[in-house]
Amino acid sequence: MLQMLSFSLVIQLLINGVLFGAIYGIAAIGLSLIFGTMRIIFLAHGTLIILFAYMCYWLFTLLGIDPYLSLIIVIVIAALLGVAIYRGLFTEAAAAEDKNISLLIAIGIMFFLENLMTVWWTGNPRSITTTYTSAVVRLGGIGIPFTRFTGFIMAFLAAGVVVVFLKKTLIGTAVRAASEDIISATLMGINPHRVNGVAFALGIGLAGIAGVDMATIYPFDPFFGFVFVLKSMISLAIGGIGSVTGALLGGIILGLIESLSSFFVPGGWTDAICYAVFLIVLMWRPEGLLVRSVKKA
Amino acid sequence: MENNSALVVKGVDVLYGDVQALWDVSLEVKKGTIVALVGANGAGKSTLLKTISGINRASKGEILFSGKSVSHLRPQEVVDIGISHVPEGRRLFANLTVLENLKLGAYPPRARQVFAESLEKAFALFPVLKSRQNQKAGSLSGGEQQMLAIARAMMSQPTVLMLDEPSLGLSPILVRTMFDLVASLNKQGVTMLLVEQNVRQALKIADHAYVLKNGRIVMSGLGEDLLADPEVQKAYVGERWRKK
Repeated sequence: MLQMLSFSLVIQLLINGVLFGAIYGIAAIGLSLIFGTMRIIFLAHGTLIILFAYMCYWLFTLLGIDPYLSLIIVIVIAALLGVAIYRGLFTEAAAAEDKNISLLIAIGIMFFLENLMTVWWTGNPRSITTTYTSAVVRLGGIGIPFTRFTGFIMAFLAAGVVVVFLKKTLIGTAVRAASEDIISATLMGINPHRVNGVAFALGIGLAGIAGVDMATIYPFDPFFGFVFVLKSMISLAIGGIGSVTGALLGGIILGLIESLSSFFVPGGWTDAICYAVFLIVLMWRPEGLLVRSVKKA
Repeated sequence: MENNSALVVKGVDVLYGDVQALWDVSLEVKKGTIVALVGANGAGKSTLLKTISGINRASKGEILFSGKSVSHLRPQEVVDIGISHVPEGRRLFANLTVLENLKLGAYPPRARQVFAESLEKAFALFPVLKSRQNQKAGSLSGGEQQMLAIARAMMSQPTVLMLDEPSLGLSPILVRTMFDLVASLNKQGVTMLLVEQNVRQALKIADHAYVLKNGRIVMSGLGEDLLADPEVQKAYVGERWRKK
């Protein structure tokens, strides 16, 4: 009996890990896209995710818009904001050889937003409670929280859309080319500002989805964004930068590590384990665990 | 400048930070000709090509294309007006397929419209690329990669094609194929600016040639004249010959 119980518990932990990991995954895809063309870790990514969680929160509390309905609004605003951030803040810095300037701008955006959100919404955690917040989908004895389940589905759909966009459209192909070699891309006639802008639109658009997922699942506060971007970086280290599916899988693996270690290891160790994984992967396979690297032409 | 020059470089200086790479470089590429730019490693050959294609900026002087100044243009605009640059080391997109590389070669809007025709031409010229079109560029052999690099550059329908060391890293047989190809593209009306360390082969097919040394043009003339010049023989051709 006890064995049966622990078995279903492990399954439950695995499912929880996979479901939440998918959100790390889409955050990581966004980071990877922006890193691809800009060559910086966009450290404000997590903070933007939290901003979009607040946006979802406001749409819900002030206007009574259902979080899943507000997703459409948030994605559009997020993608536009992504382009605006690039146009407004990065156009000059992106052209500079010294990438530290862009990195500093990203850090500046992060701190600015953290403080702005603290002023607007205070540092106290906020959460959204709807009729389905605590709903559970039952699948053969295993209970799956409804919001986590939808979050997972959205993450997968979003990743699929991004993959198709990058593969099938000319501008998507240009983004992949620029991620490999931006100089060579400009020699093809590709405008670097165009591909950077598209990378930002996609990346921050995904942050919008992650934000809505976040808002429906967890309580959040303005400072959670930094932890989130760190977790996305770990996902990328696991999955390898530059691959959409790798980033998604990396996030899922991280979700599993978190979920399992939070149960089997005494409290407080979870994050330490995550960062240890980060360091070990970078030490052992800096190109990512899941990447099959192709030699440079 | 006369109407028959495709590309004119007038008194160009280029600086890398505090280091001057090019000093008062002038050259002319007449329409429909092959011009070779030869010289030792680090003489500034690649720098000049990069300056023409807008990757580097000239601190002094001017670059004219069909009589109009293009010194201020960015790389994506330079390829748009008809100057295509195959950079040193080919710089293919290794993780993209052959076909995707060719698609990006036709990125400028005017080239996009005739993509199907350009692709057919490229495949006719390099049948091997057709059979490997869905393979990743990084998986091709050195010679195939060079062919892809040239085919990709031709996709933008250039009037001037700049090739930086197309023979680098190729086997002797492929080197000959490569130079034959350059000559045949030229016969089809493409003006060529060719940077080469394989001085002998380059001078053989070039109508006109310039010798670059330490960032300055030190000699210029007809390809065959330079090839016969004792100084050029001693400095570039002979040395290479002795090594073999």
